[in-house]
Amino acid sequence: MSTTPTVHFEAASTLAVVVSSHEPLLFLSDDLKIIAASASFCRAFDIDPTSVPGKKLGELGQGEWAMPKLESLLKATASRSADIQAYEIDLKRPNRGTRQLVVNAQTLDDGDVEHIRLLVAVTDVTDARAEARLKDDLARDKAILLQEVQHRVANSLQIIASVLMQSARRVQSEEARGHLHNAHHRVMSIAALQRQLSTSPGGSVELRTYLKQLCQSLGASMIADPSRLSIHVSADDSAVEADVSVSLGLIVTELVINALKHAFPDERTGTVMIDYRSSGRDWTLAVADNGIGMAAGRDAPKAGLGTGIVEALVKNLDGEITLSDAGPGTMVTIGHQESAGFQANLSPFVYAR
Amino acid sequence: MNDPVILVVEDSALIRMGAIDLVLHAGYEALEACDADEAIRILEVRNDIDLVFTDVQMPGTMDGIKLSHYIRDRWPPVKLIVASGATILEESLLPSGSQFFSKPYENHTITDAMARLLLPESSRAPTA
Repeated sequence: MSTTPTVHFEAASTLAVVVSSHEPLLFLSDDLKIIAASASFCRAFDIDPTSVPGKKLGELGQGEWAMPKLESLLKATASRSADIQAYEIDLKRPNRGTRQLVVNAQTLDDGDVEHIRLLVAVTDVTDARAEARLKDDLARDKAILLQEVQHRVANSLQIIASVLMQSARRVQSEEARGHLHNAHHRVMSIAALQRQLSTSPGGSVELRTYLKQLCQSLGASMIADPSRLSIHVSADDSAVEADVSVSLGLIVTELVINALKHAFPDERTGTVMIDYRSSGRDWTLAVADNGIGMAAGRDAPKAGLGTGIVEALVKNLDGEITLSDAGPGTMVTIGHQESAGFQANLSPFVYAR
Repeated sequence: MNDPVILVVEDSALIRMGAIDLVLHAGYEALEACDADEAIRILEVRNDIDLVFTDVQMPGTMDGIKLSHYIRDRWPPVKLIVASGATILEESLLPSGSQFFSKPYENHTITDAMARLLLPESSRAPTA
């Protein structure tokens, strides 16, 4: 067609699309007169659909849509000097709660520059925002509560550690003092885990950092001369669930205490090595030392509390303990194999020296 | 010369006992306060306190962090060690030169820090 009609008639299909849109939509002329409004718009904002056509935006309902800022933005959009994208306004209606709206507006390009039409989408986000706020509040409350719990646990562990250390200073018996110190090491091991857990997302514990922290704490309290004895930790990138890490940490604690106490008599120098590897659901934890090795047969000492603790924890983890000569020294390997056919050496042994 | 004097500020009686115990065994003189207000009263009447070892969360008008800043402002030479069960404490929240440790602490970690802080400035190793 070569001539421009002087009066515009909107295509019936355009009007039908607007009116039946599921999203609240307004179809406006460039002087902000309403050509059509979707049924969803009228429903959402309580407007009589028959009253709409031909009205100015500011005359809708009881005049609550007469918002100067919105009008100037829509006019700017109509003159193509601005775009309204996710513009937020508050719709205030008499005797009703304020609704938070998100407005998107654009001109409809039908190829005729003189014929400007605006399509305005209005989304009521009041409920969504309130829900998001509630979720944020809940998340924050939970984080605060968790912090508080962790703080209390740390404080409780400090109380136990303080009492154990005071007791250890006061007892006369060397043996009793040793037991109290061991108890103190165990408390500090749990504390290292607690600290690690409080900084790990999702409740899983990254083992390398945790075992390093644990052994650092053990070394700091048990090794008087770091140039004589040291602890070396190596681990792959494994992360395990919190309760598994508790067991692994306590096993390492017992084995390291045992090695530091018995493998290096008479000022020997040496290293305790901890290694953890996993593949799928199989894993191996090894604690080795390059000390004097174990006494065997009749010279073997009776199993102590540490042995009992390790056995119970290994059983918990469905693992098998293997004890071997590390030449020099001793290696304790704890393995967990999901695959059938794994035959562990089940001969009884005592690894406490 | 007299033994260094250390003021322990801690609201939990059992932890305070343990801290006093560790201070005494490290060969220092120990004073105790159960909150910041009591600590300040003691600091105001004694002029021989070398180091304050304080908890963070305590009842009263100030927590350990506020207390450490107050001490740094009013008694700048007093050394500071802060310990807390709160896992993550920004060290930048503390006055410069103070040491932070998380609870539960190893006794000798604290006594090592005390020994380090109580060395005369001149004999301290230069830091980078």
